[in-house]
Amino acid sequence: MRGPARIAGAPGSVATRPVEFHFDGRRMQGRVGDTLASALLANGVRLVARSFKYHRPRGIVTAGPDEPCALVDVIGAHGREPNQLATTLTLYEGLEAESQNRWPSLEVDALAVNNLFARFLPAGFYYKTFMAPGWAWERLYEPLIRRAAGLGRLDSVVPTHAVPAETVHDHADVLVVGAGTAGLVAARVLGSNGLRVLLVEQDQICGGGALLDTRWAAWRQSTCAQLAALAGVRCLPATTVVGAYGHGVYAAVETLGASESALCGGLRERLRIIRTRRVVFANGAAERLIAFPGNDRPGVMLAGAALTYLRRNGVAVGQRPAFFLNNDEAYESVFALVAAGIRCAGVIDVRPNSKAADCSRAMGVSVHTNAVVVAVHGHHEVRGLTFADREGGRRQKLGADCLLMSGGYTPATALASQLGAGLHWQESIAGFVPELSPDAGQVAGAARGVFGLAAAARDGDAAANAIALQLGCAPRAADDEPELPPDAESTPIAALWEVRGRGKAFVDLQNDVTAADVRLAVSEGYEHVEHMKRYTTHGMGNDQGRSGGLVGSAVLAAARNLPLAAVGQSKPRPYSQPVPLAALAGSETGEHFKPKRRVPLHDWHESAGAAFAPVGLWLRPLVYSRQGGWKPVLAEARKVRRAVGITDVSTLGKIDVQGPDAARFLDFIYANTFSTLPVGRARYGIMLREDGMLFDDGTTSRLGPEHFLVTTTTANSAAVLEHLEFHLQAVCPQLDVLLTDVSEHWAQFTVAGPRAREVVAAVITDLEVSNVAFPFMAAAAARIAGIPGRVFRISFSGEQAYELAVPARDALAAWRALLEAGKPFGIAPYGLDALNTLRIEKGHVTGAELNGNTSADDLGFQRLLKKAGDFIGRALSGRPGLTVPERLQLVGLRPVDPAQRLRNGAQLVATGDRTRSLGYVTSSTPAVAFDGWVALALLAGGRQRLGEQLLASSPVHDECPQVEIVSPHLFDPENRRVRS
Amino acid sequence: MSAPEQAGEGTLALVELIARRGSSAEFVALAHAHGIELPAFGRVAANADQLALCVRPDRWLLLAPPSTAGAGAVHAGWQQDAAGLGVAIDLSSGFTALLLAGPRVREVLARSCRVDLDQQFFPAGHAAATIMAQVPVILAVLPAGMLLLTPASTARHFREWLAAAAKPFGLVPQSAISLAGLCGSENQ
Repeated sequence: MRGPARIAGAPGSVATRPVEFHFDGRRMQGRVGDTLASALLANGVRLVARSFKYHRPRGIVTAGPDEPCALVDVIGAHGREPNQLATTLTLYEGLEAESQNRWPSLEVDALAVNNLFARFLPAGFYYKTFMAPGWAWERLYEPLIRRAAGLGRLDSVVPTHAVPAETVHDHADVLVVGAGTAGLVAARVLGSNGLRVLLVEQDQICGGGALLDTRWAAWRQSTCAQLAALAGVRCLPATTVVGAYGHGVYAAVETLGASESALCGGLRERLRIIRTRRVVFANGAAERLIAFPGNDRPGVMLAGAALTYLRRNGVAVGQRPAFFLNNDEAYESVFALVAAGIRCAGVIDVRPNSKAADCSRAMGVSVHTNAVVVAVHGHHEVRGLTFADREGGRRQKLGADCLLMSGGYTPATALASQLGAGLHWQESIAGFVPELSPDAGQVAGAARGVFGLAAAARDGDAAANAIALQLGCAPRAADDEPELPPDAESTPIAALWEVRGRGKAFVDLQNDVTAADVRLAVSEGYEHVEHMKRYTTHGMGNDQGRSGGLVGSAVLAAARNLPLAAVGQSKPRPYSQPVPLAALAGSETGEHFKPKRRVPLHDWHESAGAAFAPVGLWLRPLVYSRQGGWKPVLAEARKVRRAVGITDVSTLGKIDVQGPDAARFLDFIYANTFSTLPVGRARYGIMLREDGMLFDDGTTSRLGPEHFLVTTTTANSAAVLEHLEFHLQAVCPQLDVLLTDVSEHWAQFTVAGPRAREVVAAVITDLEVSNVAFPFMAAAAARIAGIPGRVFRISFSGEQAYELAVPARDALAAWRALLEAGKPFGIAPYGLDALNTLRIEKGHVTGAELNGNTSADDLGFQRLLKKAGDFIGRALSGRPGLTVPERLQLVGLRPVDPAQRLRNGAQLVATGDRTRSLGYVTSSTPAVAFDGWVALALLAGGRQRLGEQLLASSPVHDECPQVEIVSPHLFDPENRRVRS
Repeated sequence: MSAPEQAGEGTLALVELIARRGSSAEFVALAHAHGIELPAFGRVAANADQLALCVRPDRWLLLAPPSTAGAGAVHAGWQQDAAGLGVAIDLSSGFTALLLAGPRVREVLARSCRVDLDQQFFPAGHAAATIMAQVPVILAVLPAGMLLLTPASTARHFREWLAAAAKPFGLVPQSAISLAGLCGSENQ
């Protein structure tokens, strides 16, 4: 702990309300406007974390989202939230934060012993050590390594939906990323041109670098006021663009402040999906570190961060700072700290001379040019440093309480790279700049290496004008702008990446990757920048290596003896910053995770005690009992076989097909013929895919000479409609046919059983439903309990059955009328399970058999394929491989011992060779027409094996009953009952 | 059963009018002769006794009280006149019609709607088909607010989602039960 570091009179030190918070249980005071990091620094806290791998003491390095070290746990209303950045976390009253990755305490961390064994723990050590004994990796080594490494830990129990989030879609002509001087000017120019502009800034306040320079305060204020007055410009502060996806689509995460969060029911993050015509990347440049021994000690930080803390928060990061620099821009921090009355220990400048160095000397600061830092002294905090001539000559010690470094600035290229921008090496800034296609947009300001606030502002102006012109805006006279404060003249940067010496020099502070690790990767053959990244984990932390990424590339280039331009940077992918999963999920959680489709009578089924089964998105009544087991299912099925039952089949897909060419179209869509179907009749049909495999089945009725109604299976209804639309529009555009999805309009019920006709006759008065007047496969319009609807004589259960369709709004009235009419016969509703029992006994197929791998021949439909005329799948259904006798063919199964049960998925094996699967069970059920279980199965050469006995092996249940292969049409094979 | 959510629940019928290939102009003229104004693609047109919107080429959804010519389009007489030009299909039970009104409706809908709802690009009289909360939705800007048509089977899901999204804005989705309710001026 050090003395107070709040600077009276510094621009950011305006007395604001005090805020109390806790760090590692210690009570401290910050101020409104502080981040946790600035408040900790103001309280003299240096040591804030332990590092990922070596548990080295770490402090605050940056003043923003690039922070690699100062990650903390925040204990709040939602439990413990790990890995929060102290540098972006806005301080609030009562904030409770704890340091991570240490035990028993931050000061005394037992696992700091790792640091002593560091030479045994280089990059990729776990690939090479801990090899034996084999069992120990999973049980011993991996758990130990995982325990030792890593930063924050999640609470083991996370309260469900504790953190609400939402997704918002935004649209604009131009998205401007970053509200520094370049972004502000670009937004103003674009907005003045009448364009819709979305200006997105990750900071709470707009201004970027202008916030740190008092000369720009007035300009910043007036520009923000101008933007506020432009109707087309929307500004989103505290919003970070995290992904660029092409076609003008971007993702951004907005973090809500406390007051807005309270208004939005505790909402904290908002995922914004932004669609634009063009983008301006004005997202600046990140200051980078220099890899020198001890560059991770608490108190070693980026020079720009010190300037930010001073200007924004009135916090001096030290009382006796030393600097290690290679560029003039970083001298701003020297000037600012000196002006605030801080006595500088000295400046170590890599370059032989510079304009800024001369200015510093004039201010009384000692500048050591042509020198580099070779060592940092102190353990939990910086106490001094040793520097030497670049040529390795004289070494000198310097007492200091912090070391502020700057290795130059790396333009933020990640988003532009995601859009495919190439990277171009620019020697004058020692960095890569992106070359973005003008069709996507422009890069402006420091993001393309144009440093200096005024230069960046002018660059933003040029970028915006280029886009305005491209988007068809009339050229405008330049705004009458007050003169911009001039940029200082500067001496060019001298690239310096690494100072080699004794001790660890880190290129990635978050993942504990050293320059030596990078060289190790090269010597192990991981030479490519992407391979080096994966071998060392360099740049994989949540900071994505923004402060050290290029430094690692430079060390790699030196090790490979190549120019840095040839080595390049690793390719960034979205997200460029961590995104909470809650933000991605948005409001589609819990009950709204996925939609539920409900049948019109859902509430009736529910009140009748139905248990529901999800079928696709549908909720279908499974059985009208909550007691479970087969007993209620079999009771429902038995009722259908013996008297009459009623079931809701509203979920079937229904497609209305009309037009002069409707019959021709259906002949092409179906493998069997429909043009010969008389009006008032229905026919079972099968559709093939183009590859000749079975696609879907169902009945189609002819309601008029040019009017058909196609029904599809529940699961395939959307796919079949799409299939029909595609073939009508793309394959048969000459046909005059209209397709309409009427699935949602019609509710449909099946009344099935030997007494079905008596029930139906009681509710239909305008149609004779006798077997003669209305035989099996008849279809007609009729009034059902007075409601105009349709009747079909089709059967899935194998019983005499009528399907009745009424508009969904009248479903309840029709259903009740049928129940009433069926009362004398003991009618009862039956669910999906009972329907399944009935159809398996009957040998009717569903999705289990129409599984995408079966052909018409496999399921015994070969006689349905029409001999003349083309249809979808015709050519490929004739492939010899689809009709070979050893293919899996549909058969029925019955256990030899009726007491034994059959299982879906059981493998059929021969008694003599249990290792070779001959097929498998697709559907099974206890029967109501027979004793014991019955099943359908797909069996190699099945039709030739009728009468044989095999084993149905289900090892997971430890069951292996002997089964007899029988015809799949077990129940009423002559179809007498459906025609009765 | 969520009866009041059904568009046709004794109040509004919903009919799809579909022109045959190449018959679009004659079909529109025929509809006009029957007192039904069919708008251009992406538009909604409302008059005293029916409201028509077009979000698919050569197809119109017609909302009308059941006793009017629009709703009567499904009956034989109209079908006979339209023979060869197009058809009318009753979908009254297929959709649920909701109305969301208020000054910040567009902000609420932007919580899931990918269509650019900016007043400038999607003003009154515009209609679009899209996906919201993972289900199909047809949007139309009416004088009374935003009309939302969604398939009946997922209507409860959509309504619950919309109600939750609208709550922070102080808005509540209403069932669209009469043309006057849809086409009257916004009552805020």
